[in-house]
Amino acid sequence: MVRVLTPFEYFEPKTVEEASNLLRDYGEKVRVLAGGVDLLARIRRREIQVEGLVCIQRIPGLDYVRQDSEGLKIGALTTLRTLERSQEVRENYRLLFDAIHSIHSIQVKNMGTAVGNLCIATPASDVAVSLLALDAQMKIAGPSSERSMPLENFYLGVKRTALQPGELVTGILVPPLPKGSFGAFMKLVRTATDIAKVNVAVRATLRNGGCEEVRIALGSVAPTIVRARKAEEALRGTRLEREAVVEAAERAAEEVNPITDIRSTAEYRREMVKVLTRRAVEKIKVEAGVKG
Amino acid sequence: MRGKQVIKLTVNGEPYEVEVEPHMTLLEVLRDKLNLTGTKGSCGVGECGTCTVLVDGKPFLSCLTLAITVRDKNILTIEGLARDKKLHILQKAFLEHGAVQCGFCTPAMLLTAKALLDENPNPTREEIREYISGVLCRCTGYVKIIEAIMSAAEEIRRRGSEYE
Amino acid sequence: MSEFSWVGKPHPPLKMEGVPKVTGEAIYTVDVKLPGMLVGKILRSPHPHAKILRIDKSKAERLPGVKAVLTFEDIPKVKYASSFRDMPMATSGTLQPPDQYVLTDKARYVGDPVAAVAAVDEYVAEEALKLIEVEYEPLPAVFTIDDALKPDAPQIHDHAKGNIAAHVKYPFAQGDVEKGFAEADCVVEGTFFVPRQVGAHLEPQACTAYVDPTGKVTVWSPCQLTFPLRRELAKIFSLPEGMINVVTPFVGGSFGTRLSLYCEPIAIALAMKTGKPVKIVHSKEEDFSTLETRTADRVTVKAGFKKDGTLIAMQMKVYTWAGAYAARAYLAGPILLMWGLGHYRCPNTDGECFVVYTNTTPAGAMRGYGNPEASTVVEQIMDMAAEKLGIDPVELRLKNVKKAGEPSNLGPCPIESTYEDECIRIGAERIGWWEKRKLKKQEGVKRRGLGMAAMMHCSGAWPLLIEHSSAMIKFNEDGSVNMIINPAFPGTHCWTTLAQIAAEELGISPEDVHVVTGSTDTAMFDLGSHASRTTYVTGNAVLEAAREAKRQLLERASKMLGVSPEELTVKDGRVFVKADPSKGLTIGEIARSTIWDLKGESFNISGKASWSSRYSSPPTGAYFTEVEVDTETGEVKVLKFVVVIDCGRVINPMTVEGQIQGGISQGIGYALYEDYVINKKTGVVESDNFNTYRIATNYEMPEEIEIIFINKPDPKGPFGAKGVGEPAMVGVAAAIANAVYDAIGVRLRELPITPEKILKALKEKEKG
Ligand SMILES: Cc1cc2nc3c(=O)[nH]c(=O)nc-3n(C[C@H](O)[C@H](O)[C@H](O)COP(=O)(O)OP(=O)(O)OC[C@H]3O[C@@H](n4cnc5c(N)ncnc54)[C@H](O)[C@@H]3O)c2cc1C
Repeated sequence: MVRVLTPFEYFEPKTVEEASNLLRDYGEKVRVLAGGVDLLARIRRREIQVEGLVCIQRIPGLDYVRQDSEGLKIGALTTLRTLERSQEVRENYRLLFDAIHSIHSIQVKNMGTAVGNLCIATPASDVAVSLLALDAQMKIAGPSSERSMPLENFYLGVKRTALQPGELVTGILVPPLPKGSFGAFMKLVRTATDIAKVNVAVRATLRNGGCEEVRIALGSVAPTIVRARKAEEALRGTRLEREAVVEAAERAAEEVNPITDIRSTAEYRREMVKVLTRRAVEKIKVEAGVKG
Repeated sequence: MRGKQVIKLTVNGEPYEVEVEPHMTLLEVLRDKLNLTGTKGSCGVGECGTCTVLVDGKPFLSCLTLAITVRDKNILTIEGLARDKKLHILQKAFLEHGAVQCGFCTPAMLLTAKALLDENPNPTREEIREYISGVLCRCTGYVKIIEAIMSAAEEIRRRGSEYE
Repeated sequence: MSEFSWVGKPHPPLKMEGVPKVTGEAIYTVDVKLPGMLVGKILRSPHPHAKILRIDKSKAERLPGVKAVLTFEDIPKVKYASSFRDMPMATSGTLQPPDQYVLTDKARYVGDPVAAVAAVDEYVAEEALKLIEVEYEPLPAVFTIDDALKPDAPQIHDHAKGNIAAHVKYPFAQGDVEKGFAEADCVVEGTFFVPRQVGAHLEPQACTAYVDPTGKVTVWSPCQLTFPLRRELAKIFSLPEGMINVVTPFVGGSFGTRLSLYCEPIAIALAMKTGKPVKIVHSKEEDFSTLETRTADRVTVKAGFKKDGTLIAMQMKVYTWAGAYAARAYLAGPILLMWGLGHYRCPNTDGECFVVYTNTTPAGAMRGYGNPEASTVVEQIMDMAAEKLGIDPVELRLKNVKKAGEPSNLGPCPIESTYEDECIRIGAERIGWWEKRKLKKQEGVKRRGLGMAAMMHCSGAWPLLIEHSSAMIKFNEDGSVNMIINPAFPGTHCWTTLAQIAAEELGISPEDVHVVTGSTDTAMFDLGSHASRTTYVTGNAVLEAAREAKRQLLERASKMLGVSPEELTVKDGRVFVKADPSKGLTIGEIARSTIWDLKGESFNISGKASWSSRYSSPPTGAYFTEVEVDTETGEVKVLKFVVVIDCGRVINPMTVEGQIQGGISQGIGYALYEDYVINKKTGVVESDNFNTYRIATNYEMPEEIEIIFINKPDPKGPFGAKGVGEPAMVGVAAAIANAVYDAIGVRLRELPITPEKILKALKEKEKG
């Protein structure tokens, strides 16, 4: 193995349009460079070959986090650390805060962008799992058009996204949370700074003690992050009674398709989906003051 | 853009003009071009934190930063922590508390700790643990490192200065 | 008040040892830079086992910027041993068989060096490696002990039938084990697997070599054993030792990995070929996949006890999972027997060890050299016996620990001092053993458990290995001294400890001890830094040298003051008459007038000494821990550690504490997280960097750590000191394993104790 990167061409577009044109013109041969945390490590390890990098770091107007009536808006260059320190995120989108806060390296959070984290398309992403539970939308720009798509549809497989040639992600929109929203994020790791063996994010809307709406997102247990829809069904409309929670946890474990790798085993992961889903819902119950 | 290009960097307060190629990391440029070998390299995957330097005051992994992307920015490396031959109080505290063993993680630990104290002059033990968790140490078990940072924070607050 | 000025007091590192590390000025091997220096890189086999049919390096040689390309055909065809042929076992005179070539024509593991290049930079070097055409004939490979021992297993070395690198019987067997077991009231038996562990120092392995026009070779290397390294290199290149100078810069962590020889001969060969300095720096992936790891071993132990807990028979069978070359596994496996069978008093002992070649990364030694492995097994067996006998684990150990004067763990040489029983008693009290163990077992999801392990290690490896160190001390005109030593300095701050020893004897301040070190040319022989020996062995050499220098100092002073030397003493840089302290001279005055003697009787007050240790002063100790196990997730949290250490008189409490805290973090990693994963089909190391191989971060450290020193002097150590570097981690994993059992009632026979394994074991227990 080598200690240096391979030589490549370097582009530094000044606008999103310019970036998108470069991506269109060069196609597979180039990659977007955001924080570089993931991309450069992979280039050094020769896991990917690139002929050029399109560095978006100096495109103005992509580094922001703000909340308005449409929800929480995050730019493509907004770092994890900026989000972690943002009052809006901490106070109003606790689920996202908890996921980011669970990433321990300050260095990674200073450099790494949330969008970059999502674009790696690893099923282990804490950020992606929490944003899936929050029903985030990806804002995408192409050479001639812009579109947006639910994060839920953004992943096609391991390290594969729905981005078309020439497209890049310009931001994330997290819709406003309805009244009575609660969330819980949980993960299991080998040591504190490791990426997750399993992670779970649950967001539920509770009204008069009843579960009106719920989204359960799971990571590291399938080729992409996934929603546990059957588990959600088991909770929707209940008062989160113990039996319903246990039933949901069981269903979640049945819905996943984990593998054995260096971090954990398939068997353990499946079992932990059950434990974490149950614990996450229980945590929401405690926070919401739901009894039983 | 391909090939060599001259960029400007401010390192430890000194302006530099260096010729770099786009694929050169900040780590390579500091060590090989500027002869600042106090910044160490190890894992090359972002996991060990050994290569940490401060970019505009923030801990960055120099091995995963292209030098060209930090042009015109302020870089602080371990060589710039002592001033006028005076050790920074963190440096002194690391020595006095036995927080240094082999010393290979020490530059990264010190710079990370400095960034922490700049951001939060009165950190709790828990906040220190959190902030330094991206830098691995195989020698010390971290105990004395945390003690040293606690004590340096106190001393800096007391003196109102980072230097004696 | 202490009788000492410096010994026993916490001392920050000497300025020269500490300050460069906090300012970034410390030069490590990876930082060495010389004019005209080339970059060396190694082409490594992608196959675990393959014959090389053809290598064509012509394309690589033609690449602009390439200065040399070497294959096995260009290198002296001399077999060497990475752990040095000339480290004879003093007890038996056995030498390690050389079984390795610098560049091989037959690859025996994924990563075996087959060719090397020197080029103007890393980019060209990488390009050149790609242009070397190698035609391999892949051979069947074996990756595990079991597969290597199968009758039809491929032979890895011609000289080793059945892939047995060594079959060693426990040399200190006693009595008759069978009779012992027959007489025992209780027999416990178990088979355990202790895994590989990676040194995982942060500084990548590196080496720079330069051959000057006279043929003198200079090698900058982080090796812990510089003189043995020099001797092995001399043999490989048929050079006289005096023509090689091994320079040791600062070392970014060693932990045993750096006992061995790695890319040094390749760098030398490239430097010889090009006439230029050549530097090789490993990537961390290269480190994880090619440097020697702690050996993994399958250990079966059988132990027989009397009803009252007296251990009367013990037998061990060890299969050591060596890699493609015997390396340090050759010693580490058999020594495991000695740690295991020699710890407790036992009249009937017997054991054997098979060191087994496989097509994997060479295994060797890491901190503790077999003792953490032995401890993990034997201390669990002790707990199993305690349960069966209905005796408290603490009592069982107290019953069986050895006393001073009994044979040591490493052979018949008597134990000079041990306070193991005291360590155990104090530790039990401090962790609240008696109260907490009495509590009814909890039933909840999270369950707590207490565990312990007792420990006996060594201070230098006598009588197994020759333990020789030297030191020179000379006075300067200003009353300071130069202390010339070369024990290698992996970060233990041993210069400081050794300076405290010298300063105490000489009546000066440690900061007035200017250490001269770092190369085999400047210093007299020192075996190096291993086996927790530096303070104990080099420390004794320093003390002897200081005594001689002091004798000369007082003799000279006595002439100047007109009193007999016996009437004089020295303190705080001043020699004075004991009965009349006002009458005296500063050391500076004495030294200056001795060096610049107008009567023509000049000499330099100095002392030099070689110390060849012939004693065994084993450090002992006890580890107590409290853990919490989440029975739903299987996660183990280490809540507290109490470590009571008898390492003789503590010279520098600050560095000793640091060693123990570091030992706890490595022990926690060994017990719970560190997993060396080799792909079962390809032989590729999958845990090849810090992201895949997990060492403890600060979050894995327990909130509470209490360290207690017995602090009683050993009769043979300098100022009564014994070793402590390795002992710091020896019992950590065993204590955790026992605590996990206490918490949840299942015993895992294989480290690391991962949540996955815990849950599986809990399920099996439920099923009954
Ligand atoms: C030590 C360490 C620990 C970590 N721990 C965690 C953890 O616990 N949890 C977790 O979730 N993550 C973790 N990560 C992952 C980390 O958060 C990501 O690597 C980082 O956020 C990536 O962001 P970046 O800006 O550096 O992306 P880059 O490395 O720049 O890019 C990553 C990928 O996304 C593409 N890309 C980037 N931006 C865009 C865009 N705007 N449009 C289209 N494509 C784009 C790039 O081309 C590249 O393929 C860890 C990483 C490290 C090194």
